[in-house]
Amino acid sequence: MIRVGYFSPFVPPEWIAAHGACPEWLTLDGTASHAFNATHRGVCPCAGAIAARTMDDFALDAMVLTTACDQMRYAAAYLDTVGKIPVFLLNVPSTWQSLQVRQLYREELERLGRFLTEIGGREPRGGELESIILGYDQRRSAALEARAKVSARQWQETLVGLRSDPLGLAPHQPKAGQARNPTFMNMSAPCAEVANKDSKTRARMEAAGPTSSRALQTGIPLALVGGPLMTEDRSFLAMLEQVGGRIVLDASEGGERTLPATVDGRRLREDPLEELVRIYFDSIPDVFRRPNSHLYEWLGEHLKAHAVRGIILRRYLFCDLWHAESHRLRQWSEVPVLDMDVIAGDEGESRRVLGRIEAFLEMLR
Amino acid sequence: MTDLPDRITLNEWDRRYAELSRAGLREPDYGGCLRRHVDDGDTRLLSLRMDNSAASLRLWNFLLTEEDRLRKAREEGKLLVGTLKDLGTVPVMVYSMKNAVAFYPDGAWWIPCIMERNAKLLEIADSLGIDDSFCPVRAMLGAFVSQAHFPIPDLLICSVGATCDDLSAIAQRLDAMGHPVHWWEIPFRRAPDPGEESVALPGIFLAPHDQVAFVRKELERVREILQDRAGLALSDADLAAGIGRANRVRSLLDRLRETVFAASPAPLPALEMLIAEMLAIHFCSDQNECMAVLESLLAEATKRAGAGVGPLPEDAARIFWVNPVADLRVMNMLEDAGGRVCGTEYLFSHALDRIPEGIVPMEALARAALADPMAGSPVDRAERICHDIGRFGAEAVVVSSIPGASHCALEGTIIGDIVRRRLALPILEIEVPPITDSQEPTLRTRLEALVETARSRRAGIP
Repeated sequence: MIRVGYFSPFVPPEWIAAHGACPEWLTLDGTASHAFNATHRGVCPCAGAIAARTMDDFALDAMVLTTACDQMRYAAAYLDTVGKIPVFLLNVPSTWQSLQVRQLYREELERLGRFLTEIGGREPRGGELESIILGYDQRRSAALEARAKVSARQWQETLVGLRSDPLGLAPHQPKAGQARNPTFMNMSAPCAEVANKDSKTRARMEAAGPTSSRALQTGIPLALVGGPLMTEDRSFLAMLEQVGGRIVLDASEGGERTLPATVDGRRLREDPLEELVRIYFDSIPDVFRRPNSHLYEWLGEHLKAHAVRGIILRRYLFCDLWHAESHRLRQWSEVPVLDMDVIAGDEGESRRVLGRIEAFLEMLR
Repeated sequence: MTDLPDRITLNEWDRRYAELSRAGLREPDYGGCLRRHVDDGDTRLLSLRMDNSAASLRLWNFLLTEEDRLRKAREEGKLLVGTLKDLGTVPVMVYSMKNAVAFYPDGAWWIPCIMERNAKLLEIADSLGIDDSFCPVRAMLGAFVSQAHFPIPDLLICSVGATCDDLSAIAQRLDAMGHPVHWWEIPFRRAPDPGEESVALPGIFLAPHDQVAFVRKELERVREILQDRAGLALSDADLAAGIGRANRVRSLLDRLRETVFAASPAPLPALEMLIAEMLAIHFCSDQNECMAVLESLLAEATKRAGAGVGPLPEDAARIFWVNPVADLRVMNMLEDAGGRVCGTEYLFSHALDRIPEGIVPMEALARAALADPMAGSPVDRAERICHDIGRFGAEAVVVSSIPGASHCALEGTIIGDIVRRRLALPILEIEVPPITDSQEPTLRTRLEALVETARSRRAGIP
């Protein structure tokens, strides 16, 4: 089975899985990004990490990137010129006001389907897409029910699994003669965990417990807002809970903000692909949408629902889309906002971050 | 009075202007001595060397009086349309209407250079959280806040999608600050799949038919907004006439580029050619006068080329220049180092290519919009650059990065690798901030090294 890497919440893993391929939500290594960015100044750490990962990971058969950010678009072109594996650039429209942009997204998914078929996948079999969409939806619902009982770090790891192969459709074996890098192996663990039955998923998440159960009960409720996280950021999440914070709302790119909407059974039966368009393109609020008013509507609703007392905006250097929102977010928000610009793979970074978080929490106490 | 072509300082222009006036110089109503612009705050002129022709004087005066024209248009009750990012397409639609004027507020990115940061636009952007990790287009945000430069447009129309993040993010901030933006989608231009119906775009690219149809529908949305706000119909006949006028400007520019880039010595310097090319995107707010300015430049260039004279030495190294510079002085710097520009790709080659005529106007405009080099892969852009290098015969390439620009982080590597592989030309990538004074020794050394390399290759030294 071919393995297809991706790193945008607008790429439906259900669609990849239905084409007989294994979707892999990439966990990125900031250290690799640091090395790449040292020779490519101005590159966003995520785009750098994607480039580095694609060139170093011998288990991936293809990569799907999107036009949701300019740097990722250029990373796709760069990887295309390197020519190591096929790269598919999914055109995700920024606007959402007209029916034709929605239709464009649907046509792009169809084009992605043809690409997957050409590189070794196959067309979805009768009823297969519908059942896979339903399966992913059930796993997401089960995980969301247990959301409040797990640490931020475990939640991120769970979501990586939910965005990959939670149904266990792919054998988790490296291809013959191909090496698996450590990052890849790390990603497979939660992926396999949530592949179990819904009840088991919940039970395991709860049994695993938080880094500190006290943190989940008494920590200051915070929202994490911003772009994607990398592997080493899981330490940041654990650190945050250890010093008295509690992420009750993960609105980072890998968090619940970018989970697709709940599936509507009737619509699913009528047209599964159309339902994918609805739960992804129509429903996910993101910073690159124009206008991005849905992002603020979503935040307004969920900040209140979770009684959030402070927002941590975590953004990478050279991420213009989130950076530009920092000032606006601070003006808009009723709770304090900590604007944290970060670089990846810098050993001194964690000390600086810790100091800023401690000061922020002191202010909120 | 000597009429020998030369690049002269502002002080020399004071004397030159007096000489030209005594000799009977006739100027349009925006004419006058260049010194007055310095008095108005355009202090960068003091650091530039400008061409000494009357045609160039007219060009500079036309460029530096645009704000006056915009204010006059407002007084006359015309609809002021701020077009963002698409660089060349929506203005053709706007100038097809009798009562509307279009301009690019993004053009404010040159204000920190021209006014040497005295306008404090970047500082205003800083205060709004848009710091120097963004491209200098952030000056636009400052200009909207200070309201001391262009008049605030009645309508803002911005293309988004396959565009740079800097502009998209800043335009979103404008929208949130009470300057409503009408967005239209420009999709990422991809290569047609095998067997897929395709359309030839202006320039050298092909696009899938469905993508052209998509952009056409998006531009129809723009047409509806324009009609609604202007209170006038914008018919296909109006658009066809507007395309015809835009093509006259593009045709003039094409002839000017051909004349200047092919001749040796170069009849006009790189700085004036850069400004002339910029006129194509929105005609500097007056389409008819834009044509007159270009005709005047073309006449001067033709005269000089015929006489075999120009402001630069004949053996100047022939350089192809990629991306516009944030600091105009760098174009002087190249020539001071012994180079000359003989080909450009300033990110808006689609505004220089002729828009198709004889087909439905909205279809023609959709094709033109989709030909935008930034809407496609930088690999496509590199192909276009290789194509144009072949047209004018460059000996080396400069890729001039724009600090903070999202597209510049990787495009230089991609374009450089392809051009090097295909044409085996030396390539220099430099970064040009709005004011380069502190970096001038380094930049000059690097440009001199490139020129030296290009010249040594003439002698067969690798």
